[in-house]
Amino acid sequence: MHVDVLQTLADPTRFRIVEVLRGGERAVNDLVEQVAIHQSGVSRHLRILTEAGFVQVRPDGPKRLYSLRPEPFRELDAWITQYRRLWEARLDRFAEELDRRQHARKRKETEP
Amino acid sequence: MSTLTSTKPAITMERTFTASVDDVWDLWTTKDGIEAWWGPGGFRVEVSRIELWAGGALEYAMIACEPDTIAFMKQAGMPTASPCRATYTEVTPKRRLAYAHLTDFIPGMTPYQVAHRIELFPTGEQVRMVLTFDPMHDDVWTQRQSMGWASELDKLERLIETRRA
Repeated sequence: MHVDVLQTLADPTRFRIVEVLRGGERAVNDLVEQVAIHQSGVSRHLRILTEAGFVQVRPDGPKRLYSLRPEPFRELDAWITQYRRLWEARLDRFAEELDRRQHARKRKETEP
Repeated sequence: MSTLTSTKPAITMERTFTASVDDVWDLWTTKDGIEAWWGPGGFRVEVSRIELWAGGALEYAMIACEPDTIAFMKQAGMPTASPCRATYTEVTPKRRLAYAHLTDFIPGMTPYQVAHRIELFPTGEQVRMVLTFDPMHDDVWTQRQSMGWASELDKLERLIETRRA
């Protein structure tokens, strides 16, 4: 897991751009309209997203169309799956320990 | 697959226990409580410091304690005991606990600051416990600060463009 993946998405504007691109390919103008920031800002964030491997671009006549690449999302998914698994196991032990404590207390209470 | 439908990688988990809220809170906030379950599998922890207030530290050592985890750590060239540290960001007794933890132990995972929040909802004999993990939390903070700066630059840029026009 590259730290870059999380750092890239941590920026709220880039996060919004990615959200819009989830709806399909977009030209810069569409993104400017939907993300509601200045074109220079969108271009700068698109460059960062492209460098980080989130976004790819293809020419379409005079336009350039931007779309998402699946790789960093797969990485993110793998990270989340691992993290969730770690905590599922932890919470199982948490529940067991909780039970153990309750039973120990009950035994103590019923002892003469 | 969670991430292609939702790109925000915050994780939420929920459990309900038939237990007292005191016991649940103790498992999160006392030395013997944490050491009883924190693990992960094949590891035990030894808590050396608990400062239970916002800004306070939780420090513990993660120690490989089973033959296969000991062998794994040795093979990976890693020490079988490693120090871990978290910083509490919110402590509301028996209700809310939040801390930032530099990575939880996952082999192959790059160290990263993850925000954790635990919320307890006691009702009658039961306690509902909701956990939220947000790996982007800290960056959102720093990025927001730099965004403020960036929008100033954007304004300046626009001003220059208008003057040229």
